[in-house]
Amino acid sequence: MSVGHVARLLEDVGIATVIISAQAFRPRLEVMTLPRLLLTPHVMGRPVGAPHDQARQRETLLAALDLLETAQAAGTIVELGGSYRP
Amino acid sequence: MTEESFESFKNSFSYGSRTDLNFKFLKSLSNEASAQFFQELLWKLGDALDDGNYDRLVEHVYEWQKQGYEGATQWAYDSGPFAKLQKPLSETKIGLLTSTGHFVEGDDPEPFGVVNMSQEEAIDRISEFVKAKPELSAIPMETPHEQLRARHGGYDIRGVEVDSNVALPLERLRELTSEGIIGELAANAYSFVGATSQMRLLKQAGPAWVELFQKEQIEAAILIPV
Repeated sequence: MSVGHVARLLEDVGIATVIISAQAFRPRLEVMTLPRLLLTPHVMGRPVGAPHDQARQRETLLAALDLLETAQAAGTIVELGGSYRP
Repeated sequence: MTEESFESFKNSFSYGSRTDLNFKFLKSLSNEASAQFFQELLWKLGDALDDGNYDRLVEHVYEWQKQGYEGATQWAYDSGPFAKLQKPLSETKIGLLTSTGHFVEGDDPEPFGVVNMSQEEAIDRISEFVKAKPELSAIPMETPHEQLRARHGGYDIRGVEVDSNVALPLERLRELTSEGIIGELAANAYSFVGATSQMRLLKQAGPAWVELFQKEQIEAAILIPV
């Protein structure tokens, strides 16, 4: 998938990356051995959270930022808990 | 009048007469699986008529979207590059890249030279987009939602139209930066239409984007696909 390619290119030059994706894309993303991948239990097109759900959007971003700091190797995948609530 | 088959009906949600990109996955499901999707959806809707719990409908769509996207992909790698953060996040310059097809009002990338292409036309021309080289749009991190536009023939844009933060979380990132959790945001976020030629992205556009990120001294990046 497109951003997966870009993530690998950026990491090649030392820019750390984390991908935030809806769970539906897991099969396509996990085989790319991406640096860091946060999978969210959200419907497609709304990977960060539901419209106006500021708390959830913030929670998603904090989890992604945590992954930036804590991941130790390529292929790190974290599944965000909770659910999508519009 | 020719009767429409169930197969034709369920496929029509994917670039057909009833296109709804939330449900384009139905085309990849068997007729039996698709029938189960609709049957269960209607049953849960029936339950919701009595208890008002519509969350189960959202859950239903979520679970079936996952089923619809199972399957092989050609882009598989046994290993991958990995760069560690060199500094704490609170001292790091963060960038954002999305494949949501966002751009700032007045800065339309005008795909294929078309002025003011509609979302409907983008859907109709999806087969052209997936062969084209992607174009990157720069979006100042301070851009308010009202000035953002999204156009992408591969996903349902209604969510980002209501609240761009669902996939282009500028507002949330600004908040995290003002709180000191993020050291600094890049001047611009970047977005492109993810339905694009993967080879042209890998060989042409991608390397140029990497140079752009390096030039802007972006130290880490959040990437969001849709």
